[in-house]
Amino acid sequence: MLNLLLRSVSLLIAASLILITGCRGDKMQSALHPSGPAAEAVARLWWILRLVLGGYSIAVFVLTAVAIFSRPSKRTRVKQWGRNFILVGGVLLPAIILVPLLLYSVTATGALRMRESGLTIRVVGHRWWWEVEYPEQGIVTANEIVIPAGEPVRLEMTASDVIHSFWVPQLHGKTDMLPGLITVSWLEAENPGIYRGQCAEYCGLQHAHMAFQVIALPPDQFVDWLNTRSRSDATADPPTSQTEQQVGERAFFQHGCAVCHAIDGTLAVGDAGPDLTLIGERQTLAAATLPLTRDNLTAWLIDPQAFKPGVKMPPTHAPLEDIQAIVEYLMQLKGGGVNVESTP
Amino acid sequence: MNPPHNIPVTDPSVNAARAIDQQFVNTWESPTGLMGWISEVNNRPLGVRFMVTAFVFFLIGGVLALLMRIQLAVSDNTFLGPELYNQLFTMHGSTMMYLFSVPFLEGLALYVLPLMIGSRDVAFPRLTAFGYWTYLFGGIVFYFSFIIGTVPDAGWFAYTPLAGSKYSGLATDFWALGLSLVEISGIVAGVEIVVTILKLRAPGMTLARMPLFAWAMLAAGLMSLFAFTTLLIATLMLELDRTAGTQFFNPDAGGTSLLWQHLFWFFGHPEVYIIFLPATGIVSMVVTTFSRRLLGYKFIAVAILVTAFVSFGLWVHHMYTTGLPELSLNFFAAASLMIALASGAQVFAWIATLWGQQPSLSTPMLFVLGFLFIFVLGGMSGVMIAIVPFDWQVHDTYFIVAHFHYVLIGGAVFPFMAGLYYWIPKFTGRMLNPLLGHSTFWLAFIGFNLTFFPMHIMGLLGLPRRVYTYPALLELDLYNLIATVGAFVFGAAYVVFIVDLILSYFFGKVADDNPWAGDSLEWSVSSPPPTYAFLAPPVVRSRHPLWHSSVTAMEDAEAICEALRGKPRAWRATLNTDAISAQPQSIQYLPGPSCYPLVAATGLLIVFIAILSKVYLVAIVGLALAILGFAYWLAPNQKVLETLRTSELAIQTKLPIIVTGSRSAVWCGVVCYLAILGSALAAITYAYFYIRLYSAEWPQAGIAEPAFFWFAIAYGLLALSGGALYVANWSFRRGRATGTQFGLTATWVLGVAYMGSQLYALADYGISARETAYGSSFYLLSGYPWVLALVGLAFVGHGQVRVWNELNDREGAMALNMQIISLLWYFVVFAGLAVFAVLVFSV
Repeated sequence: MLNLLLRSVSLLIAASLILITGCRGDKMQSALHPSGPAAEAVARLWWILRLVLGGYSIAVFVLTAVAIFSRPSKRTRVKQWGRNFILVGGVLLPAIILVPLLLYSVTATGALRMRESGLTIRVVGHRWWWEVEYPEQGIVTANEIVIPAGEPVRLEMTASDVIHSFWVPQLHGKTDMLPGLITVSWLEAENPGIYRGQCAEYCGLQHAHMAFQVIALPPDQFVDWLNTRSRSDATADPPTSQTEQQVGERAFFQHGCAVCHAIDGTLAVGDAGPDLTLIGERQTLAAATLPLTRDNLTAWLIDPQAFKPGVKMPPTHAPLEDIQAIVEYLMQLKGGGVNVESTP
Repeated sequence: MNPPHNIPVTDPSVNAARAIDQQFVNTWESPTGLMGWISEVNNRPLGVRFMVTAFVFFLIGGVLALLMRIQLAVSDNTFLGPELYNQLFTMHGSTMMYLFSVPFLEGLALYVLPLMIGSRDVAFPRLTAFGYWTYLFGGIVFYFSFIIGTVPDAGWFAYTPLAGSKYSGLATDFWALGLSLVEISGIVAGVEIVVTILKLRAPGMTLARMPLFAWAMLAAGLMSLFAFTTLLIATLMLELDRTAGTQFFNPDAGGTSLLWQHLFWFFGHPEVYIIFLPATGIVSMVVTTFSRRLLGYKFIAVAILVTAFVSFGLWVHHMYTTGLPELSLNFFAAASLMIALASGAQVFAWIATLWGQQPSLSTPMLFVLGFLFIFVLGGMSGVMIAIVPFDWQVHDTYFIVAHFHYVLIGGAVFPFMAGLYYWIPKFTGRMLNPLLGHSTFWLAFIGFNLTFFPMHIMGLLGLPRRVYTYPALLELDLYNLIATVGAFVFGAAYVVFIVDLILSYFFGKVADDNPWAGDSLEWSVSSPPPTYAFLAPPVVRSRHPLWHSSVTAMEDAEAICEALRGKPRAWRATLNTDAISAQPQSIQYLPGPSCYPLVAATGLLIVFIAILSKVYLVAIVGLALAILGFAYWLAPNQKVLETLRTSELAIQTKLPIIVTGSRSAVWCGVVCYLAILGSALAAITYAYFYIRLYSAEWPQAGIAEPAFFWFAIAYGLLALSGGALYVANWSFRRGRATGTQFGLTATWVLGVAYMGSQLYALADYGISARETAYGSSFYLLSGYPWVLALVGLAFVGHGQVRVWNELNDREGAMALNMQIISLLWYFVVFAGLAVFAVLVFSV
């Protein structure tokens, strides 16, 4: 027990060091590892806040220790001294520190203010996944938001059921998604990369598994990405084998997947679940719950409840070869032109 | 080191020398047996009951937390499923906020406050019992959900629409109805505490001499009136949405999901200070005693009042991410600056007080120091999250979880522990064990920081709160494991604490009256205190009555207190004093044991259970039982009145026993109730305008505007009834029977006419409460004065019956009765006219 305690204490010290130095690692969902102007402004603010307020806390602790261990003083006008001490230490000094801090924070808010943007993306929160729409380009996708690096992107958000909150810590703070209202925010990633986001407002059973990824592409690649999709010929690439694709597509419809899911260019237009157009090039599955691999997709189709208990998707009661055919069919739904996986 | 004890307020040797009248002792004795237990009204047994019940809930909530920490110890854990985890965090939060913190404080205040201010009991003993029963029943309803198997899982603040009927089942009804009972308990405790502090202080204890714990409780009591009422209205609206089909929070029918958040946090933010301010009151008492002085009394008192006031302007703190205008957000950030400065003043007042006084580091003092450390850190993270852009990042993450546990455990539980170690010798007459106390402190302090410090980092590294698991790729396993280990260390502190409690109760060193050499009046009575608390009311001459006493002559007050020594014998009584100057004003009769509070609370419980099980017929039975309980409880007992009228005590003390106006505690209580009714009206009006603000058209959905004519007639009749009551009062004061009878009858008739014509006006308008949020809020606003009128008419009718026989009682009970009826009915008229203005002129 003591050993454990000592170890925990040393871990705690290590943790405080991180808090103080803010050492960087490969954290794809960390507000301390910003990759966009908004998140950077807040990370800077945090650095100042912990320095100033942490310093003041330490000063208070030292004063308390001195107060307790100091010898009785021979001070005469105790009341007068007490009044000054309280006024200076408890009211004046904090005011002198806090007022500039507050003013600085207002300017930091300015850095976070809505920026002009040529691109608007609509995001709708559902229990428990994200619908992503590029209204001007007529693109609909889910759980993955592709943006051009180095450019601000306007976000218009709402929720279809309960309140959700949109949060990509490396890029920007949260904005709630409220049913019946549209809230507006923006994102900008300085560099190409993958940034993880997660729902930050408790939304029921699977709130924990409502994540998504923002993929920032170099601007030219982003244009390619838009173009390949706007043509709405999602199956433009010749599939590995025509028959295999047809078998998979048939199985997809036969087992009712199209009731809830849509695939552009096919008869599948269900809207209860995520749009599956070009799902083959996504990186994750089930709102960033699992990496998208053949094995994971197969296991997910067989029993989604095992990974995300309470998710609306029912188990697929189908022979294994049908499920495998569906998996093959879905995995080859790729846009071509842009290989998202190769982006840093 | 002992402070001067030169002029003790109640000299024990004097008590011993005079034979205590046995009848006096018996009067204050609680009856024994089961009936005695359920009819208990005395503040100290009920205070203990509150504290013990709250502590049991605290332990349950703690176990829930430990289960959650096991689940979160490693990533992708499957120890608890999502369903159970969500239930546990909802119940943990609800238990700690509603069933532990506030009720525990109420219990502590019920026990300690009257002793501290030199009163024999609280102002309304039966109300105390009623508050306890509603609290207990509310807690049982909460936890009964575990037995039924539908445990609340919408979080302790139950955001709509998640908590609406579409996304949550019976579980949320358990939550809302259990909470409503607890809210009632919180509201009545507010009335109890405010009136007790204002009217029952010992002679000479002016406001400026009042102990800081009393200041803090006064602020918290006043805040309870407004905050709990707003929550009660919000939960009522939620239940209406869920069971009656109204649309307040349904965005599909013109409602708005954000309204709940505004109403909830208008309660929720002050709630934190309702818990925290009394905790600072405890700290001030302990620091004073252990420093043998107090510096900065005025700073602390002012800081308490500023915090209490400003805290009502901070609710939007919890809503920075909902897309509100930036300017308003900065206003709220500035308001929190005020809180920071007020807290700073308090902290530096304690440090100044401690400076160079070399306090002994006994367990209460250790917990105070632990509090200072944790609370300062929690305050700093509080300043951080008051800054809008920073909050956008850490809102709803583990940073917030860390922050509010620093503030609520550091800022409240540690002071509670300090208070317990400080006052338990008074409660039980036994000292706690210092070694075990120190162990408890260090386990709690280390365990707490291990648990919650890493959570700051977790939040910044991207962990949202309320997730039942997290993926390994977030690299948070290490922090979570530390937190889990810390939680068990923290839990171990309470095992040691309970062992300490049990050991001390049976084997502890016997505590003398004033084991810490404290300055306040509770240390002047024996440990544990006698049932009557003070044989004679003490006379107070300084801020530290047991330490210093000026030589101010207070012969009048002393003579009165001497006359009350061991008296009255046949009934319970305490001294009422002026709210500010604490000059003796009257002798207040206090009722003895009574079952009516339990009957009334049981009636309410039956109503709530009937709503839960949707057997509405049973609800009527419950309502009848509750009304019966209240009626018997409130009905004046003529035998008692006769005793009071003929008591010799009035002559001996030269003080009246039956008084009216602000001299009467009952009158003050009624004013508190009006504040409650007023804040309910404000909350309903706010909801109406808020829904309107978010509506493209008003009235919604093409509904026609309300017809001015019929509503004008209805509310016009109500206004006339106010005039009639004025005539009744005018005649009563002049002893004119006909005028009084005529006035009261006219009030009654016009009141009934108002109720009828309003029903007609509503029927004529013909809108539905279920189709639009406009309709829902229209009915809610209209219904409010209507229901109040129903209650008011019962009072008017009762007064009318009584005035036949008691017309000549123009100074006593009947006059008070007329005043209360008038306060109530004038308020009904005011509410009706306000509602009329809102509904008809706002369109």
